[in-house]
Amino acid sequence: MIKFIDVKKTYPNGVEALKGVNLEIKDGEFVAIIGLSGAGKSTLLRIINKMIDVTSGQIYIDDINVSSIKGKELRMLRRSVGMIFQSFNLVKKMSVFNNVLSGRVAYHSTFKTILGLFPKQEKILALDSLDAMGILDKAFIRADQLSGGQQQRVALARALTQEPKVILADEPVASLDPITTIQVMDDFAKINKNFGITIVANMHHVDLALKYATRIIGVKDGLVVFDGKSNEINDQILVDIYGRTLKHDELLGDTNE
Amino acid sequence: MKNSEKTLSKKPKKWIVNLVFGIALILALFFSFQGSTINLLRWSTFGYAIKAMLKGFTEINLEFLFGYGSRQFVEGIVYMAIQTLAIAFIGTFIGAILALSFSFLASERIVGKRISKIGITLITIIRVFPEVILALMLVKAVGLNPLTCVIAIGIHSIGMLGKMFSESIDNMDIGPIEALNAVGANTWQKIRFGIIPQVIPELTSTALYRFDINIRSASVLGVLGTSAGGFGALLLLASADPNNQWDTIASLLIVIVVLVLIVDNISAYLRKKLV
Amino acid sequence: MNKFQISNGKTINKPFNKIWVVLAILVVLTIIFWQFITYDSSMIDLSQLFVIVKQMFTPKNTNLTHRTWADYFAFMLELRYPLWITIQMSIGGTIIGSLFAVPFAIFAARNIFKNKYINAPFRFVMNLIRTIPIILLAIIAMAMVGAGVLPGIIAFTIFSFGIMSKMLYEVIETVDMNPFEALESTGANKLQAFSYSIVPQIFLPFVSYLLYIFELNIRASAVLGFVGINGIGEVISVNRLYNYDRVGAAVIVLFILIFALQLINSRIRGKLQ
Repeated sequence: MIKFIDVKKTYPNGVEALKGVNLEIKDGEFVAIIGLSGAGKSTLLRIINKMIDVTSGQIYIDDINVSSIKGKELRMLRRSVGMIFQSFNLVKKMSVFNNVLSGRVAYHSTFKTILGLFPKQEKILALDSLDAMGILDKAFIRADQLSGGQQQRVALARALTQEPKVILADEPVASLDPITTIQVMDDFAKINKNFGITIVANMHHVDLALKYATRIIGVKDGLVVFDGKSNEINDQILVDIYGRTLKHDELLGDTNE
Repeated sequence: MKNSEKTLSKKPKKWIVNLVFGIALILALFFSFQGSTINLLRWSTFGYAIKAMLKGFTEINLEFLFGYGSRQFVEGIVYMAIQTLAIAFIGTFIGAILALSFSFLASERIVGKRISKIGITLITIIRVFPEVILALMLVKAVGLNPLTCVIAIGIHSIGMLGKMFSESIDNMDIGPIEALNAVGANTWQKIRFGIIPQVIPELTSTALYRFDINIRSASVLGVLGTSAGGFGALLLLASADPNNQWDTIASLLIVIVVLVLIVDNISAYLRKKLV
Repeated sequence: MNKFQISNGKTINKPFNKIWVVLAILVVLTIIFWQFITYDSSMIDLSQLFVIVKQMFTPKNTNLTHRTWADYFAFMLELRYPLWITIQMSIGGTIIGSLFAVPFAIFAARNIFKNKYINAPFRFVMNLIRTIPIILLAIIAMAMVGAGVLPGIIAFTIFSFGIMSKMLYEVIETVDMNPFEALESTGANKLQAFSYSIVPQIFLPFVSYLLYIFELNIRASAVLGFVGINGIGEVISVNRLYNYDRVGAAVIVLFILIFALQLINSRIRGKLQ
């Protein structure tokens, strides 16, 4: 369970990204965060695993106060939180297998990981994750030889190999073409249902968010202006969140054209 | 019309800069020739010298070249060429490995701004010393032998490679590092899984390029003395009385050109495969 | 080859990691090459290093020679004469060699003269000249014109030509060709198109290379002194057996010069970005 208690974040240049956020995300939910660019979505997401620090307020994952831990404790916490990035963030010249395996580094001592001494069980786990994403045959190919959609799946496999409780996704499909987007979103849905992993995703495309998420959080100007189920959203609420009617590129549209 | 004329008159007078630059260039050239005596008599012997050089080419002593018959292998030019290759190879190899550690100290991404400034200064100081000077300083301690050349080239390579390595590290994609952060990796793991795999092809290419250059340096270091290794003995022989050593010069020229061309091509081929 | 069997029964092969082959080759090469590095380990005495450094950077004080710090600094001041000679030779060689390099680089650039029968011979000549180490150039020059400053200038010129031509054609080949084609289409010939569209793009890199080559020539002068070329190198060579303090003074002077050059070059390269 993720809890935000009156979380505020002001950047050193004066920008108030979050002005007091209160949230409770339960285990197993598929949450989509929507809103304008710059509204605070990215900040909100990165505060959860302390990639960004809070200015005031608290954030809890289960019973752990994220803002108060650091060093080894923080790294152990991050083990159970997977993160997916818009630009995939794989090591391009490394094999897919090694990229996925690197998700386990926080589980072992520095010495063993530097020498690449992962237990055989974990190597199998990595391959299992790749298989679950349908790309087992690409395991020993260089990551940059895969297509965008495949690379994002490698990233997903890396997250899965962490055996996480939560997966955070920062605009995971924004760089993909419409067909691949659906495939990757289906993968997210599969992971959420089959493994029970909580998903919290920033989504650029509103219709995608509505289709896949069970819960929608609308962010505007650093505050949560909507928090409810996807079927509770109507056009008026969207205008509230975005301050205008939606633009063409904020909808994925019909991919059956 | 008036407006255009006004704008035209305000146009920065670049030709002044060009003129100043050109004059400075010519002045510099003029000064540089002041110290030399262009002896016309010598220029007339130029033609004679060319003929002598060509004759020297045809008189190349093959026994001398390959080291058989009346000469031992170790005195042959082929041996010297291999020795030069050896000096350059080991010097570059050791230099590259050490440069890697130094480059970490000089890279903002790994140790932060303050320490990296110290690292960069250290590397710059090492870079300034010409290899000959380094070798000269080592002679009493290590002896006048190929080992000294290896160490001199190694240290100089640390300076050259250290800087280029740290630049490669500072210019790479930080995305994967961010991902490793999110996974809970510590600094060493981030280096091992994020930095090293990204940066190794570039570093190897740079090191190969350095090897190219070091072959030429290794050939040169021989001037310190006959037992310094490489082409030392021949270079000193040739420089003592250049006019009568055309066959030596010719052999040296051929062997060095062949050696460097071979190494250049192998290194270019390997570097293409790395990218 | 490693075989893995995953949870649902599928198997997959992990291919052999090529990096072990590379490492093995490197190790073998090192062992072979090491045989050629001869040395006498009984003569190795690292403490001598400190002795030399001390001798280089303090005035000479032995049974026969007593010099003071005043002498040391006076000598450094005297060094401005050989230093000036070195600088003159380097400037002359760098500039002339680089100027000659410009037309060669243009002919060798694949995007200006798209004919490989033109590119190839120029590249070949450039590569050939680049392989000759500067010391050999100096020896040949001395054989032709005698010792002194002139062979130094010749050696620097040819050396600079070799380096500048390669660096120049590489930079020309990475330049934006659109303005060039636009100008050619207006009827300009290649030289005109080149001056107006490409020269502005390569001007700053050219200056940066000039400084770099100048620095290389200054370094090389240290070595050239050993074979009889005038300048700071000669000072070092003449004094290297018995007057370490003079060698040290020369080293300090060289150090300052090269360091300054590197700083200037970094500034210019910073402006390039």
